[in-house]
Amino acid sequence: MSRTIRASVSLVLAALLCGPSVALVQAADRNRAKTSVNNKSKNVNRNENRNTNINRNKNVNVNSNRNVNRDVDIDIDRDIDIDVDRHGCCYHDHDGWGVAAAVATTAVVTAAVVGTRVNTLPAGCTVVYANGITYQQCGTVYYQPQFVGTTTTYVVVNSPY
Amino acid sequence: MKRSPVMKTALAVAMTLAAVTAQAQQAAPVPAVDPAATKALEAMSTYLRSLKTFSVEAATATDDVLEDGQVSTNTAKTVIVVQMPSRLFAETSSDRQSRSYVYDGKTFTLYARRAGYYATVPAPATLRELADALSDKYGIELPLTDLFLWGAPGWGTGEITAAVDLGPAEVAGTTCQHYAFRQPGADWQIWIQKGDFPLPRRLVITTTDDDAKPRHMVNYTWNLAPSVNDAAFTFTAPKGANKIVLATVSQ
Repeated sequence: MSRTIRASVSLVLAALLCGPSVALVQAADRNRAKTSVNNKSKNVNRNENRNTNINRNKNVNVNSNRNVNRDVDIDIDRDIDIDVDRHGCCYHDHDGWGVAAAVATTAVVTAAVVGTRVNTLPAGCTVVYANGITYQQCGTVYYQPQFVGTTTTYVVVNSPY
Repeated sequence: MKRSPVMKTALAVAMTLAAVTAQAQQAAPVPAVDPAATKALEAMSTYLRSLKTFSVEAATATDDVLEDGQVSTNTAKTVIVVQMPSRLFAETSSDRQSRSYVYDGKTFTLYARRAGYYATVPAPATLRELADALSDKYGIELPLTDLFLWGAPGWGTGEITAAVDLGPAEVAGTTCQHYAFRQPGADWQIWIQKGDFPLPRRLVITTTDDDAKPRHMVNYTWNLAPSVNDAAFTFTAPKGANKIVLATVSQ
């Protein structure tokens, strides 16, 4: 009984810290102002990988109820203690922060296909190293952190071992 | 008094002449590109390329355009320390991101300070080549990159389709001359310091190939005699930082 109350309080805390609604925060971008008059490269300021936010938005709305009731005791408390204190809150361009969004993506991880690119890791990942390169192991899924432009993203890869 | 036919004709001729002259004066076009404006831009660029060691602090505001055309503005503070031709240290802190860029003439490192990730790649021998290589291969634009590209080999004013001198204006207490330029995809304004140091003090770029016309605005504060040593341009991974990779972007 008390665990459920504690989880509910944590959820409220997450909502308060992350703003009125996760759906509002995860706005996708179509473009960015040019930041140079002399740089003619087509590659900068491109809207790379912003679309993953649209998908994540959908997942949060669809799955949140299910996850709240089932996973709340294990995941939410832990995420808030680790992530919110250290990083603050969520936005698509941040270095992999998103707390409330992490709850929903738990349901998505098991279906991740190699090559899928996300901006935020799901819950429960540990850093592992292979060949001097960093990976994030989240359950059975391996993500390789990469800079795309100057944005940190994670790509699902085969196990590096 | 009745006008004689001769007078009438003379009057008619005079009026026609006046009309034609007036029309000729109206038709004389004002040049779209004011040569004084492009000359000032060239003088600024020549001066920039004469600088060997300098440091700049910049306050920027950059618009992102959301899917529905609304604009989201992000502000940032950037510091760069440059030793031409081949040393750069830069740090940016924005509302949402913190990044460091370190270049020592041999390698380039991008470091995400809060996330604790860094990536190092081999780099070309000069800053200008680095700027090109980073944007073409990795989609990375060096902060304040125009400061390296104005007046660099291959730079020119050929793309500018309109240029106008908007007169004197003060930026941070310093008198500057304010110019507006137009080129494909961007309208931009620059405030060039008047006097012996024709430095850019403010830059505003309006992207014109998006209906939302997002803007990027920079205010520059200059230090033309910073004290630097080579250690400033060497990247040492802080404890706990993790090495990752730079993704190559397709052309």
